[in-house]
Amino acid sequence: MFNYTGKLKNSQDPQRLSGLEIYKTVYLCDSPTLFERLGGRNNKTPRQKWSVGYTPKVTESRQTEDQLTRDMLASTASFINCVSGINGDSPTEITRVDIDEVVQSLLSNNAYTIMDNIRGEDRFGTAPVRNAYFALCSTDLTSSLDSVNGFTQVNQYPAPMNALQSEWGAVGNLRFLISSIGSVTYNASNKTKDVYNVFCVGMEAYACIEQDGYSASFIYRPPIYDGPLALNASVGYKFAEVPRITNDLWVLNLRCTL
Amino acid sequence: MAANTILQQGRFTSTGANTALSIRSDVDWMRIYNITQAAASQTTAIGVEYYWQRGFPADAAWEYKKAGSGVQGANLTTYNTSGGFTLIDTSSNPNGLINATVTALSNAAIPVVSNSGTNALSAGDIVRMFNVASASQVGGVDFTVGYNTLTAGTFSLDYMDTVVTGTTGSWMKVNYDPIFYPRRRTATKISKAVQAVVTLSVKHGYKVGQLVRMVVPAVYGMIQMDGLQATIVAVDTTTTSGNTITLDVDSSAFTTFAFPLSADSPFTMAEVVPMGEDTASALSAGVSTLTDATVNTAYIGMNLAAGVNSPAGASDDVIYWVAGTSFNVSNS
Repeated sequence: MFNYTGKLKNSQDPQRLSGLEIYKTVYLCDSPTLFERLGGRNNKTPRQKWSVGYTPKVTESRQTEDQLTRDMLASTASFINCVSGINGDSPTEITRVDIDEVVQSLLSNNAYTIMDNIRGEDRFGTAPVRNAYFALCSTDLTSSLDSVNGFTQVNQYPAPMNALQSEWGAVGNLRFLISSIGSVTYNASNKTKDVYNVFCVGMEAYACIEQDGYSASFIYRPPIYDGPLALNASVGYKFAEVPRITNDLWVLNLRCTL
Repeated sequence: MAANTILQQGRFTSTGANTALSIRSDVDWMRIYNITQAAASQTTAIGVEYYWQRGFPADAAWEYKKAGSGVQGANLTTYNTSGGFTLIDTSSNPNGLINATVTALSNAAIPVVSNSGTNALSAGDIVRMFNVASASQVGGVDFTVGYNTLTAGTFSLDYMDTVVTGTTGSWMKVNYDPIFYPRRRTATKISKAVQAVVTLSVKHGYKVGQLVRMVVPAVYGMIQMDGLQATIVAVDTTTTSGNTITLDVDSSAFTTFAFPLSADSPFTMAEVVPMGEDTASALSAGVSTLTDATVNTAYIGMNLAAGVNSPAGASDDVIYWVAGTSFNVSNS
């Protein structure tokens, strides 16, 4: 949404939603539509330059929704521990056997796949990709995924340009989407290691419900309205919505270690 | 926001335990007034007012004392690096330290963990066990502890089934539950009865009328229960022996449920997964029909350390507090 020249200070306390980082320059996005979705009012001149008293972490508004959904799934979704690995921990690292068990469960529970298959083409080093459920996980798992038997990297898809931006690859009927904010339960394995939660979801397994149609609002107050001396502007966001599992049989948390 | 703006204020009566206050974002300073101690005559100097501002290390506090009659003016103001204020954000779920101090896990009906040193736990705390030799089946599982046995060197796993004796291992205090309610919980026991009674490892918080799905892997034996959808018809929240839910499932003829052995590790734990609400059951039980609603229980705020000369005070102290924000914070 924003290209900004600065970022949140490393030393800045995350609790300070209006923490100051003075005179950073930020630019509105080039997409008025996207900006308007955030509730932005001034989309007539989308490349407008601002000088404000706070680095607007506006991208966080959608990221916050993702984090809340992630935490809801981590709190409530049923889980399966990876048990077929060889690292000696409980749960173990992710393996093909564990992935197949999750897929089998989702299929047995009549969950619809989200993505259609990608038809094979006559190209070296590529392989067709099955219709698939999504597996949402942390970027820390990329090496583990590369080692899974039968893993197909995105660049081995017949049409990699059709892969999602966050997609890392596919195993069987699971396509893995990675994120730096993927779910991790710290110090939760038998050997005190971090446990990674891989949310394997079918179509419409969960939803974000906007309360009274109250979607995210992006709020910008220019300096003249934000203080008597018009020195600082403020930006922020708010939303009232709740993530919710719609069918508990269509989402499984595959827990694993590295 | 104008400088020195007060965000929130309030009052509480100390329980003698650490107190967490939910305060909106941007708190930059906080004052505590212990009016019970301030109103009393002191024989030795004792803290009556505490101050914190952003930039203080965690658990630090500025303390103002009321003097005893014979110590006028002596060390009445101190800066304490412990026993003070700590900012909290429960959504980040900060855990305690991992303590490699387990020396034994008993095979009693309610297993008791022995630890070297002082565990500093309170009854009702949640503890995660790790890597207990000969009892690795408890590894990575959270337990409510201390209602049955609690000393500096021992704590009970209150709702755990009997295990084979374990020896060395580690434990960690889990400071906060997962933030969204209703939560998935680990089952430790399931009875064979006309209405199955399920014991959960951590205080469950479920209500009558809620629908749950049972997940019971084959390693537990009671495979007939796996995947069943059930309505909670009764809950027992007795701290020492309860923490159970009763389901409308006849498990009389099911295979016996047995918590796996150490050799079975790794395995997937038996779970109770909340999935909805049976409105009729809830109405007949006189409870809200919205108890299955998904609720984000996370909060930000301040944790106040307890004790004499600490902001949360001693038992029955009446304490007033005020928290505010500053226009700008410059901690270079």
